[in-house]
Amino acid sequence: MLRRYALKVMLAAGVSLSVFSGAALAQMAAKIDKPVTISFYNYNLATASAGADATRELIAEFEAANPNIKVQGMPVPSNEILTRMQADIVAGQQPDLAQLTFRDLIYIAKDLGANALEDMVPAEELKANFEGMIPAGLQLGVVDDKTYGLAYTFSTPILYYNADLFKKAGLNPDTPPKTWAEVKTAADAIAAKTGKGGFFPGAYGPTDGTFVYQAILMSNGGNVRDGNTLTFANKDGVAAVKMLRDMVDSGGHARIDVASPTDSMASGNLGMFLYTSAVQNSLSKAAKGKFDLRVAQLPSFGDKPTKPTNSGSALYVFSKDPQKQRASYELMKFLTSKRGYTIITSKIGYLPLRLDIVDDPAYLGEWTKNNPLIRPNLEQLSRLTANVAFPGPNYRQAENIMKDSVTEAVFGKGDPEKVLVEAQANAQALMPE
Amino acid sequence: MSQITFQPSAPVRSMPALGRLRLGFDIAPWLYLSPVLITLFVWTYLPLAEAFQLSFYQWNMLPTSPQRYVGFDNYMRLFKLPEMRRALWNTLIYIIGLFPLSVFIPLAVAILTQDLTGPLRNLYRALIFIPMIIAPVVAGVVWRWLLNQDHGLVNKGLEAIGLSPIGFLQDADWALPTLIWITGWKLIGFSTLLIAAANASINPAYIEAAKIDGATRWRIIRDIRLPLLSPVILMLSMMTILLGAQWSFTYINVLTGGGPLKSTTNIFFLLYEYGFSSMTVGWSAAAGMITFAGFTVIALICLKIMRKRAIYDN
Amino acid sequence: MTIDLHIADTAVAPVSAVTSFTRRRGWLGRAMVHALMIFLAFVAIFPVYWMLVSSFKAENEIFSTDLWPQSPSLENYSFVLKSIPMLRMIVNSTVVSLATAALQVLTGLLAAYALVRWKFRLSNFIYGAITLSWLVPFQVTMIPNYVLASKMGLLNTLPGLIIPHVAAAFAVMMLFHAMKSFPQEVLESARLDGAKHWAILWEIVVPNLKASLASIAILAFISAWNDYFWPLLLSRSMEQSVVQIGLQMFMTQEGNLWGPLMAASTMASLPILLIYLVMQRQIVQSFMQSGLR
Repeated sequence: MLRRYALKVMLAAGVSLSVFSGAALAQMAAKIDKPVTISFYNYNLATASAGADATRELIAEFEAANPNIKVQGMPVPSNEILTRMQADIVAGQQPDLAQLTFRDLIYIAKDLGANALEDMVPAEELKANFEGMIPAGLQLGVVDDKTYGLAYTFSTPILYYNADLFKKAGLNPDTPPKTWAEVKTAADAIAAKTGKGGFFPGAYGPTDGTFVYQAILMSNGGNVRDGNTLTFANKDGVAAVKMLRDMVDSGGHARIDVASPTDSMASGNLGMFLYTSAVQNSLSKAAKGKFDLRVAQLPSFGDKPTKPTNSGSALYVFSKDPQKQRASYELMKFLTSKRGYTIITSKIGYLPLRLDIVDDPAYLGEWTKNNPLIRPNLEQLSRLTANVAFPGPNYRQAENIMKDSVTEAVFGKGDPEKVLVEAQANAQALMPE
Repeated sequence: MSQITFQPSAPVRSMPALGRLRLGFDIAPWLYLSPVLITLFVWTYLPLAEAFQLSFYQWNMLPTSPQRYVGFDNYMRLFKLPEMRRALWNTLIYIIGLFPLSVFIPLAVAILTQDLTGPLRNLYRALIFIPMIIAPVVAGVVWRWLLNQDHGLVNKGLEAIGLSPIGFLQDADWALPTLIWITGWKLIGFSTLLIAAANASINPAYIEAAKIDGATRWRIIRDIRLPLLSPVILMLSMMTILLGAQWSFTYINVLTGGGPLKSTTNIFFLLYEYGFSSMTVGWSAAAGMITFAGFTVIALICLKIMRKRAIYDN
Repeated sequence: MTIDLHIADTAVAPVSAVTSFTRRRGWLGRAMVHALMIFLAFVAIFPVYWMLVSSFKAENEIFSTDLWPQSPSLENYSFVLKSIPMLRMIVNSTVVSLATAALQVLTGLLAAYALVRWKFRLSNFIYGAITLSWLVPFQVTMIPNYVLASKMGLLNTLPGLIIPHVAAAFAVMMLFHAMKSFPQEVLESARLDGAKHWAILWEIVVPNLKASLASIAILAFISAWNDYFWPLLLSRSMEQSVVQIGLQMFMTQEGNLWGPLMAASTMASLPILLIYLVMQRQIVQSFMQSGLR
């Protein structure tokens, strides 16, 4: 009884607050004149890796440059961060800045209440900040023509390959496969001649997003949806999945534990691995002294240009108070500045949204020279295609149905087309009208 | 047959009785029950009631969004999930498969080690308890590592004796038994501990009397130990039936996500996937109600059986 | 309830039945028991051994199948201690788990006593309600409880982790069954002597339930120790976090940090092992003492 009443009160308060904040949104404070504390929900902080150190370094630098702003880091693992934010909003602890993954983009914009930058920031200032960012990169956080998220830590799928296994299978590691047909040949050869896994994409696991699958699908001209109509079972989509199925049938596509292909690659048991560039650091470390790890770009379907999609996260502002909005925006600006991306790329291993820093000695120049493995990824950036998020209240379920059907079509015994078409119908029922 | 009497070793302190409060009923039991009842009411039943109400709405729990009444829609959606039948069937298999690991083997271990003398008994029991000390998530990933087709020790062992490696978590035929094994492996210590404790509480006078009367060890087990252990055994059985799906949840979540090809999903995981991890409270509330209602029915049946079958020493 | 022993008419020597069993089956029976126990113990131990051994392996050795590290090192452990406040988390977990276990045993004891000792009309219903509370999935209560905890000012505090778990249906049920085995006559006679319920509970019943109490305490401790989702919601800073959150920090999206994960996990297991070793003495001792005190 008490709880229901409390929720009703919060609902009413929330409604009135949103009315109020609608007006306040257009008037973010011009500058910070008194001390303010903002919360920064971040999943890199919830790991014991370079990501946490780099984030802390960035926060410290920011606080030093902005003595009036205190940043309270809120470490939450990436698969729980959305639930935690939802709980905090309901409990009245409004988050300020958050690092959230791309798959939830539409939900974040429509339901969670992220602020549209166009509404919050004066137009001139926003334009100045966007200068130098890849236009395709800016599109990643756009919903209905408004920018809600700025790409922060993101990467695209690249093809890691084991040069030693290539040599053992009689292949030339200096000319890695460029098309899917070449991948199949190489994979079949590796599987037949070395007994190790040939090829595997990080597309089926419980914690993988759908970005690898979407990259493959869209490279073939397909798309997951058109508006609110699902289209992944269209001709091009089925053809893309059939390509993978063929590789399974011919033996090149490995049948390994979908939850740990990274481990198989790291232990030298997999020939080719298509996955996010974010695991580059850990794979390099594991390969040191054991095998020759190289990278190539996302393979293409014949002559069609590839469409590498993004994985990773964007930054969103949620504050409703004008002072906190300004503070959050300042932090967002810093994190997506040249200095910010320099640290993110060199220390964590993600991609910079600003290409001008790559060869600039003051920023990434030195690092890029010493880490040539990032080149293929950078070259793909010119074809960066936004990962498609699902809309509606049941977006997660619909996406899961799609991913499960792809796994079934590739590894199961049935007809891939039938599996995909049936799943599409099921998932369609969950999409908004 | 020997007569067994109980003598408290020290006289119980006599204190003046508090006297019944003039309320017409005895308030004492309620006082004793109050901590448990209040806690359960505030932290479990109240949210459950709220969930019941919310299960008929579509809402993302945020104060700024409206609640939309959808009636039984959420429930129907969940029941019509194509994997529902598979999940129910798998749940049954999980439960049946867990019984040997959660009841039979621990029972055997507790009884067989009972009569061992010296430090070996405690050593064996401690070793069997060890799986319980590591975190479930870690247990999951370590087993995944050991069962890995390429670099896992178990497959290396199979190869050493001439068998071909098995894709324990990739092969749809092996994945479910593998998960049952991992879940059960973790539990053996739990059940062994409980049964051993109950075993230790059996009045040794019974055993002595039986031995004097010439009963064999097996006889003692069959006629004294097992009946007196029946409350614990029935309790563990009930727990396996009711919580088996929940126990395996962590491992399904971390290791297979319900795959490969839906072979390891169960009712709890399915409801988690579609209900609890969705951002719409209606689905998750409906999923919670289905789980609760379904298992309540089973629990009531179990409780009834327990009341009839459990044998107490009093 | 009396127990009737139907003894077979086989002539037996007036020696202990155990000795005669062993003599008849001989060493074979005993050997088989030992063999089974050793096998089970091996299966139980091996993954934990693997975890321990891996924690001493260097990074590029991690995927090797050696049963012993080539060059054992403590670098994983120092990495863990450097990157997260692991010791603080272990202390937090210990405090929370001890308090939770103690409170669950205490409240369970009181509730079970009430249900066994007093027969009132609602007692069956109450027992059922307590049991059924066990079946409520955590996710259902998660967010409403979070809101309540927030209102009570419990966010990011250790008491916030303890208070919602003060009562456990499991403890009530196990103690209920243990107490039911208690002879009613003793309780009745003590009552007639004028003893208060409180005294009966603590001076007669509890000393004879040591084995049950100890085992429930161990299991309650472990259950509180392994709790992940509630601390995940409630803790906002690493200093107020618990060990389970710490462990997750080594499982990142960019791949697991196996070495440090194994090291952290080993460190996280030690307190439980300690509690088990301490508590299981109670179980052993209570068996040694014959009769009731």
